[in-house]
Amino acid sequence: MSDVVKCLNKLEIPYIARGAGTGLSGGATPLGGEVIISLVRMKRLLDLDLENRQAVVEPGFINLKLTQTISGKGYYYAPDPSSQNACTIGGNVAENSGGAHCLKYGVTTNHILGLEVVLSNGEIVEIGEHGVPDQPGYDLLGLLTGSEGTLGIVTKITVNLLKNPEGKKTVLAYFDDIDDASQAVSDIIAAGIIPAALEMMDDIAIEGVEAAAYPVGHPRDIAAFLLIEVDGIAAGIDDQIDDILTVCKKSHVREVKVAKDEAERSLWWANRKMGFGAMGAISPDYLVQDGVIPRTRLPEVLARINDISRKYDLRIANIFHAGDGNLHPLILFDASVPGESERASKAGSECLQVCADVGGSITGEHGVGIEKSAEMRFIFSDEEMAAQTDIRHVFNPDDLLNPGKLFPEPGRCVEVKHGEKKATV
Amino acid sequence: MVSPTIESVVLKDQIKRNDEPEHPLGNGGDQIIEAYSEEDISNVLAHANEHGKTVTVMSGGTKRGYGGTMKQADILLSLKGFQGIVAHSVGDLTLTVRPGTTLKAISDKLAENGQCLALDPSWPELATIGGVIAANESGPKRLLYGSARDHVIGTRIVYPDGRVIRTGGKVVKNVAGYDMNKLFIGAMGTLGVISEITLKLRPLPKYEGLSLVHFPDGREQEIHHVAKRLMDSMMEPVSLEVLTPATAEKLTGQRNYTLAIAWEDQEKAVTQQENWVAANLPAGIRHTCLHEQDAREWWDQLRHLGPNGYNDDVNEANTQAALKIGSKPSDVPSILTMAEEFAESHHVSVMAHGGAGHGISRVYVNGFPDDIIAYTKTLRSEVEKKHGYAVCTHLPFALREPANVWGEKPGYFSLLEGIKQTNDPKKILNRHRFVGGI
Repeated sequence: MSDVVKCLNKLEIPYIARGAGTGLSGGATPLGGEVIISLVRMKRLLDLDLENRQAVVEPGFINLKLTQTISGKGYYYAPDPSSQNACTIGGNVAENSGGAHCLKYGVTTNHILGLEVVLSNGEIVEIGEHGVPDQPGYDLLGLLTGSEGTLGIVTKITVNLLKNPEGKKTVLAYFDDIDDASQAVSDIIAAGIIPAALEMMDDIAIEGVEAAAYPVGHPRDIAAFLLIEVDGIAAGIDDQIDDILTVCKKSHVREVKVAKDEAERSLWWANRKMGFGAMGAISPDYLVQDGVIPRTRLPEVLARINDISRKYDLRIANIFHAGDGNLHPLILFDASVPGESERASKAGSECLQVCADVGGSITGEHGVGIEKSAEMRFIFSDEEMAAQTDIRHVFNPDDLLNPGKLFPEPGRCVEVKHGEKKATV
Repeated sequence: MVSPTIESVVLKDQIKRNDEPEHPLGNGGDQIIEAYSEEDISNVLAHANEHGKTVTVMSGGTKRGYGGTMKQADILLSLKGFQGIVAHSVGDLTLTVRPGTTLKAISDKLAENGQCLALDPSWPELATIGGVIAANESGPKRLLYGSARDHVIGTRIVYPDGRVIRTGGKVVKNVAGYDMNKLFIGAMGTLGVISEITLKLRPLPKYEGLSLVHFPDGREQEIHHVAKRLMDSMMEPVSLEVLTPATAEKLTGQRNYTLAIAWEDQEKAVTQQENWVAANLPAGIRHTCLHEQDAREWWDQLRHLGPNGYNDDVNEANTQAALKIGSKPSDVPSILTMAEEFAESHHVSVMAHGGAGHGISRVYVNGFPDDIIAYTKTLRSEVEKKHGYAVCTHLPFALREPANVWGEKPGYFSLLEGIKQTNDPKKILNRHRFVGGI
């Protein structure tokens, strides 16, 4: 890797590191002339130290495969993006990927203990050696995780592993009114429960998943369902489930049930994790967005997304990690109808504007990539983006690493101006 | 002398005379300026930057002895008066707070709504959130709840040239742009001054338990096995803190190696886990349980063990130092044993505890300055053989250079320098406070 990078550097050819290519924001898509460095063959498990709950993997190692490798001993790797059977841990580091269970267990950055990185000059550095926490110096692990391949190429990753919870129960709750479902989300959190997962799907999303590979038989006339999972010490689970059932009933739930066995639980999750792909069953094309809002603003934001749907005359399904306020509006469109792709794209951007307006973010787990670079302006000023590109300059001075991603084009003009200003100081 | 320019940027009564220029912990300033707003911070920094003046940043002052080889900067910028909660969104479990707010003030306020900030560093009534974040301070319960980097979701930072830059946001999940929050956590104020922090909260635990496992003399090697067994089980300890005999004596009255296991969950779950411990201890190893208020008080005592910036003794024979040691979690018991052994051979007295599940140990040393330095060097070199590190989180000013507070520079030091150069090209902020003299 180091030799390749040195060579590309010498020839001043831009390059992109790429894993499985499952990213949803175009972070590994070349914009023109970049060399793609594929990491999928770097897929070894280099070390497993269960006593210290650590594993060292190469970047091409598949996310789910790690959990499968250690599950026999009762351990797992917590970040679980829906693409986990295909996506690589290297890609997860680049995107700081999340997943359905990050409400309780955090996203990728909370599970990275060490990285070996090839810098843009070809130098190989080890950060967080041996997985020892809080090593003296700025937190480069935190900075590199989620930098979308613009600061260096990760060639080794030390991750933190978790022990399987002793008990786990999953609840499915059907609501006639989406505001009631939203209220239940807030009330569960207010009851002092942190579920392992707290997912919501609205009626259009349900229409999709029921038409796809794993139908559950959800009633078709409900407004939304919540999928709630609680895990932990077995003796404490039932009380939490009771609290959740009480909250749901107080929020006028139509029907609420606890998964009777692992088969039922798995079906509910397969149905949920198919969510995006299932849109293909009810629409020729769809566009996924990834906004984040304070969860208490959910009803208001849903109403505004509904307005956007009417304005652009496009159906919008909503799937979200309701517990942490991470919304995935899915805009359904038909690319063969002239103008519809553009309308979908505008509607998506407007959804993100709504998230920004209520104090949220334009991306919770999919990254900025190419897709949302313009929307960075919804939440950051030019000066704030310049503070970020200034840091990029330290790692990637010639902007050869994944150029044109993350920041909007005119933002770079600001960066140049800022640089000039500094030069004259 | 008070320059007219500084008077034009802050009110006269915010500028104070430095009445103790010879503070034994250094990190002072010729002028002391009290900031009461972000605007104050911005104005002072912009002024200092323009005139090439150095600035030391302090709020609670508990970390005054942590790093820094410059006795006195031109300006000591105090954030102590810039305190208070900006917003507590109960339903979102988020809190936005000013840097000078103490951890205790935060906990008291949050408890009214049954919530907490799951950070348990030392001296909560003195330590401010700004300092805790800047120094990346943590306590035993980081095993389950994580450290500052897992709780901070957004900040406002005043850069040395007076710019105010927001990092992160106010939502609990966010990957827009670089995760700039991380740069300022543990940066010891060398990259910017934190003027506001937004944190992720947790509900207060429903029930608290504490299992104290006492290892008789000669059986301390079994700590490792008990910890290992517990970590390999499905129990969910909040802490797995090993205490050396002197530390345990102060907290429990019994001079034995002790393992302090915290449980925070539904009452039934706490009981189940305490029972598990009882059932799985090797023969002849005793344990005791504390609950609720008793458990909380016990942890509170542990949080008041070391130096706090105000409790140094004037007598040279009682010089105080504190070390933060990072290692693989499995090496914590043996590192604590070494910390004990070297204390005897180096004529210092030591209290130490460390997390057998998370790898951070704290060593509080008391003795003559030369002995402290020799002790630090010996312990550090042994810890480094185990791929760990030792940082001096408290030392009198005079000992910092000889003890080499941060240890050797990492191999990627040029990146750290590059980041410093980018944010603070004139190096006005907390100069020489951090790794490699940054």
